[in-house]
Order: sequence, then structure tokens, then C-alpha cells
Amino acid sequence: MRRFLFVVFSLLFIFTCNKDEVDQIEVNIPIGITVPEGMVYIPDGDFIMGHSDYPDTEKGKVINMEAFLIDRFEVTRGQFSIFNPDYSFHPQKARFPVSMVTFEQAQGYCKWNGRRLPTEAEWEKSARGPDGRKWPWKIYHEHPNNGFSGFLPEAVDSREEWVSPYGVYGMGHNVWEWVSDWYISDKTPKADSKRYKVIRGGLTQTHTAIKFTPTYFRNKIEPTAHFNFIGFRCACSVDCR
Amino acid sequence: MKILGQKLNRRFFLSLFSLSALSTFFSKKAFGVSDYRRDKNIPKQYVQNRDRPDFFIRSANPFMGVDVNGWNLSVRGMVKNPITFEYEDLFGLKKTSQISRLKCVECWSATAQWEGFRFQEVIDRVQPDINAKYVYFQSADSYYESYTLKELVRPRVLMVLRMNDKPLSKDHGFPLRLIAPFKYGYKNIKYITSIEFADSRKRNYWSNHGPYSVDGTIQPGTDHPLDFKKKPLSINGGEVFHPFDKRPL
Repeated sequence: MRRFLFVVFSLLFIFTCNKDEVDQIEVNIPIGITVPEGMVYIPDGDFIMGHSDYPDTEKGKVINMEAFLIDRFEVTRGQFSIFNPDYSFHPQKARFPVSMVTFEQAQGYCKWNGRRLPTEAEWEKSARGPDGRKWPWKIYHEHPNNGFSGFLPEAVDSREEWVSPYGVYGMGHNVWEWVSDWYISDKTPKADSKRYKVIRGGLTQTHTAIKFTPTYFRNKIEPTAHFNFIGFRCACSVDCR
Repeated sequence: MKILGQKLNRRFFLSLFSLSALSTFFSKKAFGVSDYRRDKNIPKQYVQNRDRPDFFIRSANPFMGVDVNGWNLSVRGMVKNPITFEYEDLFGLKKTSQISRLKCVECWSATAQWEGFRFQEVIDRVQPDINAKYVYFQSADSYYESYTLKELVRPRVLMVLRMNDKPLSKDHGFPLRLIAPFKYGYKNIKYITSIEFADSRKRNYWSNHGPYSVDGTIQPGTDHPLDFKKKPLSINGGEVFHPFDKRPL
């Protein structure tokens, strides 16, 4: 009996100590395509966009897309300061996501780097893969910073347990990210069709409760906004260098 | 029988018993500081937390309010021309007004028409040093707040003298308060007595006394506006505009 219990508890211990890992989709990169360092190849094909419970999304529509490349990490403060030497940051936070940048500044960085901002559809496919998952890492987690009111960014590569099925980091936490689309929904008045840009993949906070947002959650903000909770990443077609 | 992983024997029973008995010797205050701001014995004439239906009042340090005869605004630190303003002097600055929502970190929000002057009016007069990138405010109720200079020159930040076409009331920060609509309410310091320009950032009151950030930028989340019966509405982050609010052009 003692031996049996020892085995049971040992297995339980090993199981509970095992770090959460996100099942990664094995992607075969076609011959002739070179993926630049720091980018991820997202294959062509269908994916589910939006959710039927969220009327301002695509409501679960199946979208077919060409393959594309997207940054594995959010653009860092260190990277952005090469583009804009006036951007100052604490040296110990060079790997933190850049923030306080407008849509135009984000777009300018990507263009300077031979890239562009991802479309909203590209962003969502990179975050959830083809299986329609709610969280990039599939399993629901409570946010660990509950009990504090305020935005606490982290280094862009600090959470390998919170990656998307394609291995893209920071798509459900850290900064919200500019994408190229204007925010339009069924309720958007025509006059506002070019008033707000979409931002994706950040946190919501209500007093001291911090929550992750689902992969299909849309937020909107004026393109001139620059706040500590907004950053970005870049994307490009498969032939970019 | 086991309790807390220990076999219940006479020795353990006695230690538990003695511990529980000892605990009765300590008052609640030994385990946590009670919130004096909720103390019902604060004299009624003091500014204090009050849940008024149209606009809640929040006061970190209950006090009697400001006697304007003894009040002035000192602007100092890393500036070329330190200045002390009397209350009347502030009405000589270029005035502007706006309707904006004050969003409390505790969830509620309320709107008002605020009238006052832009922070640029202060900057123009004191001429800060090029390295003075931070501004530190102190108030008559021992409150303090810090900002970056860049934040204070944003278009909707206002140094407020009047609210809803009347001088600021004692509850809302007479004689001078700050309204920064993209920051949580606790950043909107009332009863301002001094403004200091500096080259390094100081902490603010609530980051020293509660689980709140120094920055205090309103994050995407949920609001419970008092003018919408406190029903939950999602907010995008930054200044709060609900569908029934008029946005500035």
C-alpha cells in the first residue's frame, strides 16, 4: 500500500510540477522562402475569425489567407530607439515593448524596417491558429498581477508559457498592439468609419482585477493616442527580407 | 486525528489552545491598520469621503478645507523665474473650459464642466530648465502627486478654478485642482499649494499607500458611470468617453 501511494503521489508531483507548454503547430516552410531572424512564418489557409458572442467581431467567420511573416516579439524600446534616437528609456528596460507611440510612429518604424503593420486578420490568425482557440496558449489562466492597479509591462521574451500556437509572444498580454485596420463594426456610424484604429491583444483592468483578453477581442482608439499600454509589432509578405 | 498536519495530542492541543487564547489579547489594529477615512467620527464639516449620487467625493486626508486668505500657489524648482501666485492672480491667466469625465480607479466616473487654465500658462511664466522633465504637486491636505512635463501639456489637461459654472467647492478642491482626463481620479490632485519642476520623478500618494501605479493612466476595462446608474460599460483606455458623451472635435 505504501509503495502504491508513493508511486501515485510521485506521479502527481511530477504532473503538477510540469510547466505549462503550448502545443506548437508544426509548420513546413516552403522551399525558397527565407524567414528573417525574429519573424515567424504563418502558413496560408483557413482560420476562424471573431466569435459569435462578440457582435463587433467577425462572429466566427472562416477566413482564408495567404501565408505571411510576423514578428515573433513586440517591437522593443531598444529597437525603436534606433529608428527614433529621441525615444528615451531606462537601459534595463531595453527588451520591454515600446509604448507611447502613435499609429503613425508605429507605421513609420515598420516601413523603415522594410515591413508594415499586420492587418487585423493577420494578427488574429497569428494569435489563435486554425483551431479557433480563445486564448493564444489555449488554457485559461488568471492574470498573476491581480491585486495591483496599473500597467506592468514585461520583457517581450519573458513568457514562453504564453505564446501562440505558432510561437508568437505577447499576443494576450503586455501591450495592446496597433494593427493597420480602421475600427468598423455593424454599429459604427459612417462619419466614424475612419476615426479609430484597432488595437489588439492587451489586458483589461477594473480596479485591481487584471484580465487577459481573448484572441478575438477588439479594442479601438484614435490613431493619435499614445499611452503606456499601446505598442506594436510588424509583419510582411513572405518575400520580405 | 490530525489538525494542520500535526497529530492531535495533549501537547499540541495545549499549544493551539494557548495560541488562540493569546490572540484575544491583540486588538484588530495589531493585524491591519483600520481605514481612518471611513471613520464615522470625522466631524461633518471636514472634507471626507462621501458617496453623493451625482459625483462621489474622495479625500485621502480629511481636513477643514482651504482658507483662501492664507493660501497661495508656489511654483519653484528647476525654473528660471520662481513665482508665487495669489488666488486672484490665477484669474489673469488665459481661461478655457471643457466637459470631461473624472474616472475613479475604484470604478465609478462622473462628468462636469471644468474651467481654468492650461499648464502651458505656468510654463510660459516660470520657464523651466531644459532638464526639468518632471513636475511634483503638493496640496493643502498633505496629498502629493507627480507627472511628467509632457503629460501636463497634453491638450485636455486643465488647472481648474471653476466647476459647473461655480468656483470649485470645498469638496472638489477649492481653490485649485488638476484635471487630467486620461488619468485615474487619484492623479487629479485637489487643493494644490505648490508645483515643483525637477529632473527626477518622485512617487505619489497612492503608490505609497495602496496598490496603485505612479503613472495612473486609465487602462482598458470597465467603468460604472454615476450618470448611467453605475451600469457597467467597457472603456478603451485613456480619457473615457461613453456613447452618450460628447467628444471634443
